[in-house]
Amino acid sequence: MKIEIKDLHYTYPAGVEALRGVSLTIDSGEQVAMVGQNGSGKTTLVKHLNGLLQPTSGSVLIGDLDTKKVPVAKLAVHVGYVFQNPDEQLFCRTIHEEVAFGPRNLGFDASKIESLVADALNLVELSSRKETNPYDLSPTWRKMVALASIISMDTSIVILDEPTTGQDAVNVARIAHVVAELRKRGKTVITITHDIDFCAENFERVIALSQGKILLDGPAGSVLGQGEILAQTYVDPPQLTRLGKRLGLKKTVRNQEEFLSALKS
Amino acid sequence: MRERLSFYVKRESFLHNLNPLTKLVLALGLTLIGFLSPWYWTPLAIIFFIIAPLSFVGKVQRDFLNAAFRLILPATGFLFIMQALFQPVGKTELFSIWFLHVTRESLAYAFENATRIFAMVSSFTIFLLTTHPSELMSDLTHRGLPSQFAYVIISTIQIIPQMQAKAQTIIAAQRSRGLDTESSLFKRAGALVPLVSPLVFGSLVEVEERAIAIEARGFTSRHTKTSLREIPDSSFDKALRWILLLLVVAIIAVKIWLS
Amino acid sequence: MAIVNLKGVTYKYPLTETPALSNINLKINEGEFVAVIGPNGAGKSTLCYTLAGFVPHFFKGDLQGSVEVAGVETKTSTLSDWVLNVGLAFQNPFNQISGAKYTVYEEIAFGLENLGIPRGEMKERVDQALTLTGIRDLADRSPYSLSGGQQQRVALTSILVMQPKVLVLDEPTSQMDPIGTREVFGVIRSLAERGMTVIMAEHKVEWVAQFADRVIALYEGKLMMDGRPGDVLTSERLVGKGYGISRYTSAAREASRRGLWPRNRELPVTLDEAVMGFGGFPLPRGEGQGVRGKGRK
Repeated sequence: MKIEIKDLHYTYPAGVEALRGVSLTIDSGEQVAMVGQNGSGKTTLVKHLNGLLQPTSGSVLIGDLDTKKVPVAKLAVHVGYVFQNPDEQLFCRTIHEEVAFGPRNLGFDASKIESLVADALNLVELSSRKETNPYDLSPTWRKMVALASIISMDTSIVILDEPTTGQDAVNVARIAHVVAELRKRGKTVITITHDIDFCAENFERVIALSQGKILLDGPAGSVLGQGEILAQTYVDPPQLTRLGKRLGLKKTVRNQEEFLSALKS
Repeated sequence: MRERLSFYVKRESFLHNLNPLTKLVLALGLTLIGFLSPWYWTPLAIIFFIIAPLSFVGKVQRDFLNAAFRLILPATGFLFIMQALFQPVGKTELFSIWFLHVTRESLAYAFENATRIFAMVSSFTIFLLTTHPSELMSDLTHRGLPSQFAYVIISTIQIIPQMQAKAQTIIAAQRSRGLDTESSLFKRAGALVPLVSPLVFGSLVEVEERAIAIEARGFTSRHTKTSLREIPDSSFDKALRWILLLLVVAIIAVKIWLS
Repeated sequence: MAIVNLKGVTYKYPLTETPALSNINLKINEGEFVAVIGPNGAGKSTLCYTLAGFVPHFFKGDLQGSVEVAGVETKTSTLSDWVLNVGLAFQNPFNQISGAKYTVYEEIAFGLENLGIPRGEMKERVDQALTLTGIRDLADRSPYSLSGGQQQRVALTSILVMQPKVLVLDEPTSQMDPIGTREVFGVIRSLAERGMTVIMAEHKVEWVAQFADRVIALYEGKLMMDGRPGDVLTSERLVGKGYGISRYTSAAREASRRGLWPRNRELPVTLDEAVMGFGGFPLPRGEGQGVRGKGRK
């Protein structure tokens, strides 16, 4: 489903102007990373995609649904949102129940729910622990349960808020694998992240926000190379991009393969 | 809003400089006198001749009037109407609406109660507006209140807005999973478990971490605690507390004597 | 002289079978900056809690072996006395705010009040600590109104003001955004420069490489490696186990297989090291320059 945001402004009830005119289109199946310092408006922006927040002015369209007119529970059919802290959403006694909660709310039939749950658990490598209580897992794995509990809703758009915070390299790789799999399935994935290397290695499009406005928006290779502009929102370019710059490589590189092949030439 | 977690308004005033216990005794004393006084107009007199002027002395008149008109007056007004309508006392009927009879006595009774409550709430409002919670707690701890008890009170006051914010996040997270919290009451009641249990579990985790954090700051140290703030307790404070105590005793005596 | 001495430390949390730490032997000298790395669940936090006395005084369970700081064993001491030996700051800045205080200044004084420090000395020490960590401008703010990075610096200051002999930091930046990370590491850098004894669990290795004199790698509760940052952080043994590995290290390792990295040259961890190895020239005052080896014994 296509996402169309037109001149979106949002002011919190307390008076903080969090979004100051954001316009953007995200096509079906795109993988987008949103970067920028805390308070730049990333979370406020994605909370508009499933109607948790309503525009102060401007509009947000998910396909042909206007988020102003469709309740959150209905938008949940199309937009899945994995919150940053798994402890703010997990409540069931078993992992299986937890992952089935979303699809059940969406009113799928029992056999479809079963196959969605099995698929989601398989994807996050938790199939063998179906009957475990989520709270018997480490915080690291609870995060994977939260991820599975949204994947099982089979939405065409998936939002991930800081998926790699507090995760070690093995888990970051696991999350990267999930993102790649969602891409294969044609899902739109929108990720908020501070982990710029993760962003560089797994996302094709990067949007940098600063003070409620879009600072940069484009292919990862071009956005992540613009160190000086990114510095305005306290984002450092990825490690290998910086190294490439320091070595005077002509091309902006963003992962190991690009770096090594640029080095050869 | 996050900056302001208590009612306290920072000012330089005579009232602010009083010892916290004196102000607490003052609020309690005025409340007791209002409730126990045999004279009908006492609570009203307390409101107009003591509490209102005190709000000026404490330079918090604007905050006080704000609270008085927007919170205390509507609440006590409601109480007044309810009691006037439903209190089955007296025979001097003034008027009646349907099956409700308003008598002179019920009106007088409702008025007295409403003014008493008004006097109580407003005297505590003045107290809260001019007393820093941590100053009160340090002072009470200094006088022998267990520090754990003081800690629980202060941290609870501070934690409420944080809990509210957390609850909002949990609601948003579950709505994103298709939980319907907006339609029928039945559905909303069913939505309670997914909302409450993450809140409870999250709080348990937080409590453990916070316990570690305050232990790491020597909270259970055997040393006698000292206080950063110097809390004044002048002979005037002491005298004032004695006077208030005597007044309360006197009012009780009068009440017993008259009955 | 060793200020920290762990002998045969094995620990199991209550109701668990596998030890969170097993047979840890470790000596740390005064003034050393030791980084502890490891994947999630390797025992980093448990090691921090053990050094800070929370194991066994807060978390019960089964502790074997001995943990000594400045010649005193944790088992024979109490938690409230131990705070003068070891100060602890951890990941979540929000949960480290006491909740008992209304301003940053008071928050920092909280520990000194608990220790019964006289008011005059208390103010002096709070002022010093605020200067040390550079948060004087936050003194009158409510701790709850601050950003994560600011809160974490307040938490660090609140511990430093108590003047512990050893400072233990458990992934102090794991929940920070880049600006918060930079702020907190700024403070840690100044502590390293002052020669404070610090033990820091951390997986952001390119930062670790800038401060640490020594790196310890934990794996499944065991001490897997212990050595110079340059040796440990670039070791082949860390690959594929969930350790944070700098992209510079990985790229250079692959480059050396393809003959693009000078033979016999140590693999890089930081940007400057990578630039030098790949044949570029380091900027005179480049980004990411460390304090490694500077002003330290």
